[in-house]
Amino acid sequence: MKPTAAPASASGPPAVRRASKEAKWVLLSLPMVVTLALVFVVPIACLIYLSFFSSTGPATVGDQPTLENYRHFFTDPFYFRILFNTFWLGATVVVCCLVIGYPTSYFLARTRSRWRGMLLFLVVAPLLVSAVVRNIGWFPILSDSGLVNWLLLKSGLVSQPLPLINNTTGVVIGLVHALLPFMILTLTTVIQRIEPDLEEAAASLGAGPVRTFAHVLLPLSLPGVIGGSLLVFTMAIAAYTTPVIMGGGRILVMSTFIGQQFRTVLDYALGATSAAVLMLLAGALSLLALRFGAQRTEMAR
Amino acid sequence: MRSAVVTTVLGATFVFLLAPIVVVVISSFSAVSVLSFPPQSFTTRWYTEIDPGYYRALYVSLVVATITVVVAVMVGVPGALALARGRFPGCSTLNAICLSPLMVPALVMGVAAFQFSLVIWDQFRLTLGGTIAGLVVGHLTFAIPFVVRAVLAGHTRFDFSLEEAAQNLGANPARTFFHVTLPILRPGIVSGAIFAFLISLDEVPIALFMGGGDATTLPVKIFTAMEISFGGDILAVASVIVIVSLVLMLILDRIVGLERLFATKH
Repeated sequence: MKPTAAPASASGPPAVRRASKEAKWVLLSLPMVVTLALVFVVPIACLIYLSFFSSTGPATVGDQPTLENYRHFFTDPFYFRILFNTFWLGATVVVCCLVIGYPTSYFLARTRSRWRGMLLFLVVAPLLVSAVVRNIGWFPILSDSGLVNWLLLKSGLVSQPLPLINNTTGVVIGLVHALLPFMILTLTTVIQRIEPDLEEAAASLGAGPVRTFAHVLLPLSLPGVIGGSLLVFTMAIAAYTTPVIMGGGRILVMSTFIGQQFRTVLDYALGATSAAVLMLLAGALSLLALRFGAQRTEMAR
Repeated sequence: MRSAVVTTVLGATFVFLLAPIVVVVISSFSAVSVLSFPPQSFTTRWYTEIDPGYYRALYVSLVVATITVVVAVMVGVPGALALARGRFPGCSTLNAICLSPLMVPALVMGVAAFQFSLVIWDQFRLTLGGTIAGLVVGHLTFAIPFVVRAVLAGHTRFDFSLEEAAQNLGANPARTFFHVTLPILRPGIVSGAIFAFLISLDEVPIALFMGGGDATTLPVKIFTAMEISFGGDILAVASVIVIVSLVLMLILDRIVGLERLFATKH
């Protein structure tokens, strides 16, 4: 039997056929579009709408649209402080992730060890354990009578336990732990694409390890470094659970501030304004991160 | 010398990555104070003192995650196919819109969903906040994009000649879809669904603002308990979660392969 033209060819001229075919796709995507509009677009629109009204008391807003909240947010030193704290936290987490993540990524990218698969698994494994649970695990390690202080006191390095949790230090440790896998995945992919020959060439021309790193490896892996940093920064400033738990409820960054406005202060309008600002910030940064080829896996939220 | 340095640095990194997970399990058996480490003596007391509310919360979590994933697959798979194959106007815009929820911080999504539930109550007298339905609404915002993205990723290497072959052999469109198209896309659908399920089980901010009362998920229950006080029963619950996660991870690794699961790019 000879292959014949599809039977559909009888149903009309090509343009009509094409249109009906496209109509089928539109119809198929309709349930998804409607659902997303309902659960995503409308709620976000509600939030942005709310941010243009000013608060008139707990959980109530006025009826005149105003830019008051935004003016407030960008002129009041109190919010400057929160923004500064947020950026400072994000930057600290990024630097820690880079310093800890780069050597591991380099190893994972270059090694031919049969343990490589196992090690990659161990990098991503923490992501599959609940974030809340991982935070809980830090308490017996970082508390005053916890593991780290026990070691420090035992060895005589300190005479008083160091405050490592329920403060910014705790939040940084928690966030670095949560976000390091993303940094390592991004850096490993980028370093893998750099030819090992280039390093060997540099070495054979007399460059030491430091010079090879500074003049060959680092410039070539820079896109990954930037992409990974942007990704980690975005996730660090957007995180809510870890700053609340590891900060003992005492850390004021944008996310915890937003949570406060909706949970205890009940200034919904101001909360909505801060949430809109955070959303724009995170959105712009993650778009930028994608341009630099950040490895955003499914768990990156 | 050089390999000793490498081993130390790598070892320290992996100890850091795994420490809290290991410590959760050990500390949950600590008899005197769960905040002290290493433990002085051991007990299984905390496991018998787990508040029944945690079981209820686990049930809520599982129900929410299951409904969320089922809905997400049902609307997401046809939607993703349309995005992959359709050439209709606005197709690429739609593609961007479908994936954009993943760029919105979960906290922002949570307060937006909360605000949405207030509006729905004002306008239609429908209760969304504090109900399973409300939690599903909140979780669909990431579940649908996950499924869409996973299907789109799997679709890039789609061999259309298989569908043509089925049709030439006389299969109608429905039959072609269920016996050819769907099996080819299945790995993508499965990995998207697994991730949506796992995140739904684990997610705090959305469930915190949308849930409450009878609709409190397990992570939210633990989160709010931590805000009040830190006790042995919390560690016991956490330790159970770690062990269950490890078992699930091993099963997942067997079935899908974790490395492949994580290799999904944008």
